[in-house]
Amino acid sequence: MSLSQWVPLVVLFTLATLFALFSVTIAPYIGPRRYNKAKLEAYECGIEPTPTPPGGSRFPVKFYLTAMLFIIFDIEIVFLYPWAVAFDSLGMFGFVEMLLFIVTVFVAYTYVWRRGGLDWD
Amino acid sequence: MHPVIPYVLAAMLFGAGVYGVVVRRNAVLVLMAVELMLGAVNLVLVTADATMRLHTGQTLALFVIVVAAAEVGLGLAIVLQLYRLRRSIVTDDVGAEPASAEGEEEPVKVVA
Amino acid sequence: MNDIQLPAIDYAALLPMLIVFGAACVGILVEAFAPRGWRFVIQVSLTIGGLVAGLVAIIVNRDLEITTIGGAVTVDGPGLFLQGAIIILGIVSLGLIAERRLERGGPFVAEAAHAANSDGDKRQEREPGATEVFPLTLFAIAGMMLFCVSGDLLTMFVALEVFSLPLYLLCGLARRRRLISQEAALKYFLLGAFASAFFLYGVALLYGYAGTVSLTGIREGVLQSEQSGILLAAGLALLAIGLLFKAAAVPFHVWTPDVYQGAPTPVTALMAACTKAAAFGGLLRVFNVAFETTAWDWQPVLATVAILTMVVGSILAVAQTDIKRLLAYSSVANAGYLLVGVVSLNGAVGSSLFYLIAYGFSVLGAFAMVTLVRDSEGEATHLSRWAGLGKGSPLFSALFTFLMLGFAGIPLTSGFTSKFALFSSAWDSDQSVLVIVGVLSSVVLAFPYLKVVVLLWLNPPGEETPTVSVPSMLTRAVIFAGVAVTFVLGVAPSFLLDIVADAGPFLAK
Repeated sequence: MSLSQWVPLVVLFTLATLFALFSVTIAPYIGPRRYNKAKLEAYECGIEPTPTPPGGSRFPVKFYLTAMLFIIFDIEIVFLYPWAVAFDSLGMFGFVEMLLFIVTVFVAYTYVWRRGGLDWD
Repeated sequence: MHPVIPYVLAAMLFGAGVYGVVVRRNAVLVLMAVELMLGAVNLVLVTADATMRLHTGQTLALFVIVVAAAEVGLGLAIVLQLYRLRRSIVTDDVGAEPASAEGEEEPVKVVA
Repeated sequence: MNDIQLPAIDYAALLPMLIVFGAACVGILVEAFAPRGWRFVIQVSLTIGGLVAGLVAIIVNRDLEITTIGGAVTVDGPGLFLQGAIIILGIVSLGLIAERRLERGGPFVAEAAHAANSDGDKRQEREPGATEVFPLTLFAIAGMMLFCVSGDLLTMFVALEVFSLPLYLLCGLARRRRLISQEAALKYFLLGAFASAFFLYGVALLYGYAGTVSLTGIREGVLQSEQSGILLAAGLALLAIGLLFKAAAVPFHVWTPDVYQGAPTPVTALMAACTKAAAFGGLLRVFNVAFETTAWDWQPVLATVAILTMVVGSILAVAQTDIKRLLAYSSVANAGYLLVGVVSLNGAVGSSLFYLIAYGFSVLGAFAMVTLVRDSEGEATHLSRWAGLGKGSPLFSALFTFLMLGFAGIPLTSGFTSKFALFSSAWDSDQSVLVIVGVLSSVVLAFPYLKVVVLLWLNPPGEETPTVSVPSMLTRAVIFAGVAVTFVLGVAPSFLLDIVADAGPFLAK
């Protein structure tokens, strides 16, 4: 494989780096400076920062529970993509198999729901 | 094309993961190091697919992702539980005390 | 994209696993919907029903030999035998898991989410234990069954995780000694995740080498592949590390004593009997089917591991002062004897299967008896507390002595016949060095067992000797099964030896 194939990529990276450096360095000099409370706060994700519990900056355990449940159920979706791509050729067989898979996931979901895993309070 | 670069990269990632598991003393970081190792596995699988024009490896990679997620969910639950017991997830401390010290544990107030 | 061939599925071959997995899913629904008071009864009957139905399905399938779902599952003689062994040992250990008379509410914690010694934890001490353990056990057993009949490494990996994840959880659910129980869970989990990453990397490298993950495909790939042999060697080594971890072979055994000690004793029994059977089922299948043709390359390495395992396991067992840790190191040493069977390849498959059954029943009986020796703190596992139990509880001590003699390999017990069968078939496969080391190490290993026997009968009782509790029918049945099988297989092993001989070799095409 010749190196010439990589030239456009290198050029793109260089341009991107230059542009980033340029905008970061020049902005403080030419931009207007109007500060307010929101602008001075630490940036987390655009939403108001989560109020931390008194006596320390630890998050309530509920966040972890919800996050773990979210990860587990979210990742199950991965199996739906290849099925969706090959849906036509898999036909009824694939449909039934996927239905069985979803039923199995739903069993776990029912357990979480009934035992209060989804209750916030 | 000989896929030496991805294989070497995967080996380095895997090595970094092994190093992390061996050196790190924080259970969550150990878990992250294991995830790094699984990332290396996925890289090898996809590389093998790309060079040999196969599909099995990609399927396997999906399974690896899903199982890794389940593993992390369960692992975080165990780590969290231990943290609530001991206020520490430093793996060196695990099992450092004899079983009889159990009664002396301060009850941990759970923030929830 | 129209070239997808739908795999042929032989539902009869999968039926045992489908039944057990199905029962586990129903068990979760029971947890979700059944009223609290009814859960225990429903779960126990569901679990036993599911396992017995699975066993019946295996017996109906007994002559089946088929590769199905596109090579993902290979049902053959040894596979079916292992499945049956796991299910039977699982049913027996269920007796310990469901025991509720020895301890108010059973051996498991009611709400694991309570921090140990917190107010909530003190309140729940009198509540009945969590019934989630039954679906978790079913999932673990079903995963082990799938592990033994996996036709490719992908299925094997998924099965490995399916049986490992519930076991990690079960380890952390002890009612007493919550802290070391949860520490055991964390250790087992972190090291287990580490080991399965090795397993997977091995799978990936072998896939890069052979272009397939099916065991038979790798067998053919070894002869044809144009890839570098380094991929094969590294892949095989990493794969073996993952499997040897589950089998508790030295140097991958460090988790064993801590986890065996910290886990609730019924779960320890389940791990010692069923997980051992599953791990060696997987090892035997991988090495006999995928790597038989490269045996010259790996046999010396695996033989070294076997020698290390036998020697280290038996020597460290001598130094133990806790009965659960002693049994843990004895299980490490027994893993070494079983590895001799793996190294001997096809010649020793049958005797390895026999050994798994014999050892499984003895160890279940032994752990069942460990649950009986109690004081106000729960189980008294320190050996010094066992001194002089023979005076007050002669029947208990006699039965425990019998099991210990069985482990030590005294004639008229299954420990003797199983070791004899294993070592003689290994000898016939020209593994004479391994056999000599094995015999010598089993002599060393006899010492700690006899030490326990001496302690029971000859030592004077300590100041506060724990009492031997009277269990319900469940634990009695487990002890009876353990002792009876240890005796029957010691006196009349031929019927089981015939069955394992009928099971034949692993299906390698």
